[in-house]
Amino acid sequence: MMDLSRLRAVLVAGKGGVGKTTVTAGLARAAAAAGKRVLAAEVSYELDSPTPLAEVLGLKRASEEPVLVERNLSLALLTPHAGHLHFLRDALPMRMLADAAMKSAAIRRFLLAAPSLAEMGVLYRILDFLRRKRSDGSFEHDLLIVDLPATGHALGLAQVPSVILKVIKRGPIHDAMREGLVLLTDPKQTGTLLVTLPETLPVSEAIELAHGISKHKIPLAGVIVNRVPVDPFTPEERAAIDAMHIDTAAMLGARTIPRIDRAKESIARLKRELGHSPLTLPEVIDETHLERTIAQAFGIGAKA
Amino acid sequence: MRRATDAPFTSDLVSQKRVIVCCGAGGVGKTTTAAAIGLAGAMAGRRVLVLTIDPARRLAEAMGIPAGGATPARVPSALVKTDGALWAWMLDPRIVFESMVRRLSDTKDRADRVLGNKLYLALRDLIAGMQEYTAAEALYTFHESGDYDLVVLDTPPSRNALEFLEAPRKLALFLDEKIVGVFLPSTGASGLFWSRARGLVSSVFDRIFGEGFMDDLQSFLGGFSGMFASMRSHAEAVRALLTSDQSSFIVVTSPDSAARTEARFMQAKLRSMRLPFSGYVLNRSWAYTRGLASPSSLAAGTSPAAISALRKLEALADHERDLAERDRLLLNALRDDGQCEATATPHLGAAIEDFAGLLTLAIGLRVPPGAEDRGNGD
Repeated sequence: MMDLSRLRAVLVAGKGGVGKTTVTAGLARAAAAAGKRVLAAEVSYELDSPTPLAEVLGLKRASEEPVLVERNLSLALLTPHAGHLHFLRDALPMRMLADAAMKSAAIRRFLLAAPSLAEMGVLYRILDFLRRKRSDGSFEHDLLIVDLPATGHALGLAQVPSVILKVIKRGPIHDAMREGLVLLTDPKQTGTLLVTLPETLPVSEAIELAHGISKHKIPLAGVIVNRVPVDPFTPEERAAIDAMHIDTAAMLGARTIPRIDRAKESIARLKRELGHSPLTLPEVIDETHLERTIAQAFGIGAKA
Repeated sequence: MRRATDAPFTSDLVSQKRVIVCCGAGGVGKTTTAAAIGLAGAMAGRRVLVLTIDPARRLAEAMGIPAGGATPARVPSALVKTDGALWAWMLDPRIVFESMVRRLSDTKDRADRVLGNKLYLALRDLIAGMQEYTAAEALYTFHESGDYDLVVLDTPPSRNALEFLEAPRKLALFLDEKIVGVFLPSTGASGLFWSRARGLVSSVFDRIFGEGFMDDLQSFLGGFSGMFASMRSHAEAVRALLTSDQSSFIVVTSPDSAARTEARFMQAKLRSMRLPFSGYVLNRSWAYTRGLASPSSLAAGTSPAAISALRKLEALADHERDLAERDRLLLNALRDDGQCEATATPHLGAAIEDFAGLLTLAIGLRVPPGAEDRGNGD
């Protein structure tokens, strides 16, 4: 498992419903407790859509600008709109022209309709947050942790810079995407955490996603298997159960036994195919324990 | 009052509607539910096409169809065993887009020009965005073909779950002549409005996208220019079909709290868009426990390992009973909250990877929930 403590950005990726948000929040809290200035961020393509990370962190409403959640920990929404606006302001010589551009129906509708420009806006926003400095010259956010939208998109975001670089050969977008590509592919700065569940299909999908990510040369920092069912049986007890020849699909309680078996197989398969052991989190876990487990696994807080 | 003896609401839908759209947060089992709804339709004697987005290869295997075919594949009739028939197709954005361009182009030459444009060649492999643009188009084309009584659409796991509806609308907004005209080579339309708007766009685009991009964009959009009207009217026809009573939207959710938040959001959104929302499917639920044996029926014998093993099995059973209670309450909360129908499909674990699992789900969507345990004075 990789040491995350020196990174600037951690991308938390995976299918929907696997617990990315819980992992993002746990990691963010652990890093903040270890003294890092952390910005946790979630992608929002529409301002009225649910913001689960804000909810887990106990905020009623997230906004495009960072809001302090607790000591060392802030939260921001990554929206294409804010990315586009900041980009235009940075790229155009006059602020007036940028604002006129954002007001132009033609340009606004183009930005909305063109595939991938939304992702580009989000990526630009990530770069923007990572560049920000305080008056003493240190980074405003030591570590940015992004709760990525459900798959497809984890890859979607990853492939954006290389595609855009093919289409746009020069100019500020080209430069910004080149910077984005350098950042995304630098293992000293960026790491992806892949979250999955201990079931056959989610694990197959996680393995595919890991291969997709590595094809785009984005460093994989670790794999987390969430909601692993606890196996209560000793080997002797299990042998006794097996000897009863129960129809596990037709008995209360016994339905959990194949789940336990699949979880073990899934974890073994991940290890076999990705080359390192995943971090496993049990089905029932409280916040403090979750933070501590994540911090230990990823070298956070060792020298707090 | 609960419909303990009535069939689930999905039963009427699969035998009457022409289009069923499955919405829901990622990871709730939307694709599987869409496949089960399709199968339920075929069991009701209809000719059904399921349009899936990126299905698990295992699901395709379970349905006996190849993944990655260019046209819908028929699920072997030995599996379906009814008068109805089931086809499935994994949506391929490139095929949908390219066949639309070929259909709408007046000449082959013009179509070749659009599809050979370098901007298109660079963008066509993008995952992000393309499914959203083509899902509605594919749905409409297959519906219009008349080959199917019912088309079931599994929606893409996108930035927002209704993006597939929004994307064609955004495209239509962009293709508005006043807007897209600004991006096209000048055709003599003059006047202050055009020259100002063109001036702004080209100065902004040259600065941010670099010189040359505007030319590429103009030649790409120029290739389409004869098709804009058809594309716009298509977007409107899709919308008309989806808002009509021939269509039905189902929100799939799991017992997970984040999924439920998303489901409620989607329900509200569908209603605000005046789309025909029919109800919730609570997937992977533990709600139904009737017919299951209890570990207490087992004889442990005298071995200490067997005795302690049974005690632990009882504890697992108690946990499942708690989950069942939780999910029954959830089901009622979904009904009350949305003032709508809701039905549950069971947690099948790995079983969902074979056709028998799909059949179990499909039956659950059609027949009265006889296995549902409605104890506790519900």
